[in-house]
Amino acid sequence: MADVTITVNGVTFRVPAGTNVVDAARIGGISIPVFCYHPRMKPVGMCRMCLVQVGTPRLDPATRQPMLGEDGRPVIAMMPKLQTGCTTPVSEGMVINTESDEVQFAQKGVLEFLLTSHPLDCPVCDKGGECPLQNLTMAWGPGNSRFDYNDKVHFEKPVHLGDLILLDRERCILCARCVRFQDELADDPVLGFDNRGRNWMIISKSDPPFDSKFSGNTTDICPVGALTSADFRFKARVWELSSKPVVCTLCPVGCNLSLDMRYDQLMRVMPRENGAVNDIWICDKGRFGHRFIEHESRLTTPLIRKGGHLVEASWDEALALVAEKLAAVQSSRGGSAIAGLASPRLSNEDLYLFQKLFREYFGSHNLDHMPGSAADVDYDEHGALMGVGKGTNLMEMGAESLVLVIGADPEEEAPLYVLRLRAMLERGAKLVVANMRPTKLDRSATTRLYYQPGSELAFVRGLLRAVFDRVGHERLHLKHSGLEQLRKTLSDLSVEQAAELCGVPAETIRAVAQALLEAKQGLIMYGAEARSAGAGMSESLGVLAALTGKVGKPGSGLIALLPGGNSRGALDMGVRPDARPGYAVLSQRGLGAREVWPALREGRVKAVWIAGLDPAAQLPAARAALEAADFVVVQELFLTATAKLADVVLPAASVAEREGTYTNAERRVQRSRQARQAHGEARPDWQIIQGVAQHLSELSVPVAVPTQRVEESSQPVGGKGKSKGPGKTTAVTVAEPSTWDYLTPSEIAAEIAERVPGYAGITYSALAATGQGGDWGRQTNEAIFYDGTNYENSEGIGIQLPNLIEGQKTAVSLGLRPLSKPAHERSLLLVSQSLAYDGDLLLRGSLLERQIPQPYVALSQTDADKLNIKPGDTVRLDSAAGELTLSARVVDDVPAGVALIPANLPNFSAAAVQTGPRTRVNLVKVVTG
Amino acid sequence: MIGQLLKGLRTTFGYIFTQPVTVQYPEVKRPVRERFRGRHELKRFADGKERCIGCSLCAAACPADAILVVPAENTPDHQVSYGERYAATYEINMLRCIFCGYCEDACPTNAIVLEHQYELSFYDRRDSIYTKEMLLVPEDQGHGDAPPILTQLERRPSPPAQIDL
Ligand code: SF4
Ligand code: SF4
Ligand code: SF4
Ligand code: SF4
Ligand code: FES
Repeated sequence: MADVTITVNGVTFRVPAGTNVVDAARIGGISIPVFCYHPRMKPVGMCRMCLVQVGTPRLDPATRQPMLGEDGRPVIAMMPKLQTGCTTPVSEGMVINTESDEVQFAQKGVLEFLLTSHPLDCPVCDKGGECPLQNLTMAWGPGNSRFDYNDKVHFEKPVHLGDLILLDRERCILCARCVRFQDELADDPVLGFDNRGRNWMIISKSDPPFDSKFSGNTTDICPVGALTSADFRFKARVWELSSKPVVCTLCPVGCNLSLDMRYDQLMRVMPRENGAVNDIWICDKGRFGHRFIEHESRLTTPLIRKGGHLVEASWDEALALVAEKLAAVQSSRGGSAIAGLASPRLSNEDLYLFQKLFREYFGSHNLDHMPGSAADVDYDEHGALMGVGKGTNLMEMGAESLVLVIGADPEEEAPLYVLRLRAMLERGAKLVVANMRPTKLDRSATTRLYYQPGSELAFVRGLLRAVFDRVGHERLHLKHSGLEQLRKTLSDLSVEQAAELCGVPAETIRAVAQALLEAKQGLIMYGAEARSAGAGMSESLGVLAALTGKVGKPGSGLIALLPGGNSRGALDMGVRPDARPGYAVLSQRGLGAREVWPALREGRVKAVWIAGLDPAAQLPAARAALEAADFVVVQELFLTATAKLADVVLPAASVAEREGTYTNAERRVQRSRQARQAHGEARPDWQIIQGVAQHLSELSVPVAVPTQRVEESSQPVGGKGKSKGPGKTTAVTVAEPSTWDYLTPSEIAAEIAERVPGYAGITYSALAATGQGGDWGRQTNEAIFYDGTNYENSEGIGIQLPNLIEGQKTAVSLGLRPLSKPAHERSLLLVSQSLAYDGDLLLRGSLLERQIPQPYVALSQTDADKLNIKPGDTVRLDSAAGELTLSARVVDDVPAGVALIPANLPNFSAAAVQTGPRTRVNLVKVVTG
Repeated sequence: MIGQLLKGLRTTFGYIFTQPVTVQYPEVKRPVRERFRGRHELKRFADGKERCIGCSLCAAACPADAILVVPAENTPDHQVSYGERYAATYEINMLRCIFCGYCEDACPTNAIVLEHQYELSFYDRRDSIYTKEMLLVPEDQGHGDAPPILTQLERRPSPPAQIDL
């Protein structure tokens, strides 16, 4: 936008047109105090704190030119009254005065009025020390009050707005920032005003109260201590805290957090600005869900099973035992009798070393990062292969971009994406949400569509066909193979046929295809429900991105929402049975978690090492297998159900007690720092793995691998086993036997940068760059107005990886697997719904635990009527695998033909009925008595 | 020569007949001035409620970082002080303290006061940390009435900062 020239307090400078007076003055280094204005929200002019004198050049009515005075300068017509700076846009030649007596009188007046009903309990107020009201009163306010203290109104305090947020009505200055945040940014319009005059107050309108996944952010932006969090209430004064930069590992967004510590104790979690990831926000899961770090049930010492009991042991003892037992298995049965499962919440360094140990020492590819339930979905390749291009920044995207969200519920799977996508919409982006059932994001969508349950693949094929019909492959600027096959697959299914299969009208499919083609930038985000349709889904979405030219450039590509904070890292690091780090396919695959359980029971696998996963809690099969296993090592934070079955339990350090890097859904690698001392004797996972390796080398176990140098092509898995292009066989350097003497995780990161394709250049020093982390907290006196909001990012904003196509110029296989005909032997499709507040161990000890639901099965009204089921009835689900009894809910949002159960609840497992990621079930009411 | 010696000792001899200024500590203890800054006490109101509201301002003012306050929330059935907040932990490390009295100045409720006790010695450095139990005056030795605004317990308003207690 063009610039305009303005004069503030006699200083003339240029600012972008359309800026409001407050921001414009700040560009010139002049501060105008504000309360209700917030740069991320529309101005409303409620508090009158920003009053300034504004004048514009007087125009000659005849010529429309500015009239010139005798001195040859334009004549300025000052507005008769003071104007609110936050709602006044600048115009050419505008003259602003922020310091005149009149303005100062107004500023003092506004503050004096605000303080008439203010309790002045700064000494006990959680905002004290970072309170804009304190700051502005010191800088602009009157020195004393003429108001009699005893005339102040007093209200009962505090009022619970919800489980997590408390309101102190006496302190509220009614700026509506909280209300506007919920309405505009979070789209959870759960707050509102009630009453008027002195009784004007904020209330929660929802049931349950303050029902939002973003409620904690209102405590940040509240300019006073009116909103405080139950989590931090009266824990400490803010000046006692030291902020430690970490990365949230609770979901694939990877928000930048500040752990505010007093000495070694976690007091609260605050957002740390990162324009490319979380802006200045975090979700409630990240904010309140980090109490596990200090939970009293954390493991503190290694445990060894002696005579049926787990007894405390020293690290040396435990590591030596692990090495000895694993070496024994290896020498008697070979390395393939050892399996390793590592959680996707571990850091890249841990995961890399884990697979390295297995592949190098044991020569075993029996690796996985999933628990091995029937419901585990296929490894997601295309999120990396065709992932968003390097340089993608949602913060900078808006007009001319389109986001297709398919089979995902970002609010539950990766909450912060809701805020990011809504901010994009605000800037003019289009949002197409396609799901089998309504989700909250629908409210924001420009186009929302629902396909028949289980028909997402048909829907995407319809889109593909519509795209292909329009542009063929002219936008395909990638090295590719299998075009002929694609042409043939697509010709088998017309848009109309697809429309019929998926229940979305053909015109709509064509319109979405058209919109995707027209958009300059296109993101395709898919989540758990899409991935449960199988690898064919991400493959088809990848081809869709390729055909529409939405790949390999900034602002375009796929975003896969995977479970856990670092699933992408686990895939990149090759913690899977069929590929080495960097998606280099193995010619001979090992056993995945799902195959490990039967193999353990049959004795083909003897020993298993589980880092951070708890399969025994969910899977009876895993429990039986672990009981049958010869040797089980578990490396965990807590004594989980799995750990209780272990022969050796090793206490691991949590994310707060160690350094590491994590790769988020947009393939941004971010560095997390150590925030506190080790918990008891707990050690970082990489150290534990290294410790075992060192003991192994003392036992002089022959290193298994480096016999074949290049055993695989680096071609990423495309259409598996079909029509692969020649694929460049770049040398995947097989590690030389290494000495296992890493001193710090940064040394491992350096090795990853060297060895893992795509991670080149990702070193700790490079990750510390702060580049364009955003501009928060760097402007004139910003802290004064937005104190207590979030922290400036001084510790690095991370580096986005190139997707594999950009990075390696590998050929993409366009061949698609054929649509399989779903079998309909049972009436309902069992869909497990990922919830933000589920049985994740990491929520232990947090206030969110109360919000974890009891197990249930949700049905549509139609099905409930058909089966004569009422809410609360006990029902029995049966599938090809088994039976399960649950209480029923009848929910409007569930489409007919679907039985929805929450995934991953504590003390509940649907494993009894699941036959795969998708299960067909029958449902009957259980009549008791 | 003798004359010079006597001249030199004149002052000495003169003092032989005056009262000595030294006292036989520890049998005798010298009274201290009213504003002497000795060991701290945590005060109470006359009704026994603790004055400290757990605001940590003393800790913030302390130049020696000698004070640790860990606050907690009052509940209707566990009302330790007036208002919403009290100090669950209050510790002063007497080895760090330089007895400057800034904590006393900073306290909005006159809860922490440097009193006249100066006999602070310990065999173990750990013992130099005086806990809340050690610092708090007995329940019946409070003074002053809480201002009416603080006693309206059903509304649990917080103590105001600027009222002189
Ligand atoms: S909101 Fe600010 S001014 Fe008001 S009591 Fe709290 S710290 Fe003091
Ligand atoms: S609670 Fe805070 S953010 Fe909300 S209106 Fe009151 S002062 Fe503003
Ligand atoms: S959105 Fe995800 S990464 Fe961000 S704070 Fe929430 S759980 Fe953590
Ligand atoms: S007297 Fe001075 S040094 Fe001692 S605790 Fe108080 S403020 Fe700190
Ligand atoms: S009226 Fe402008 S900041 Fe409130």
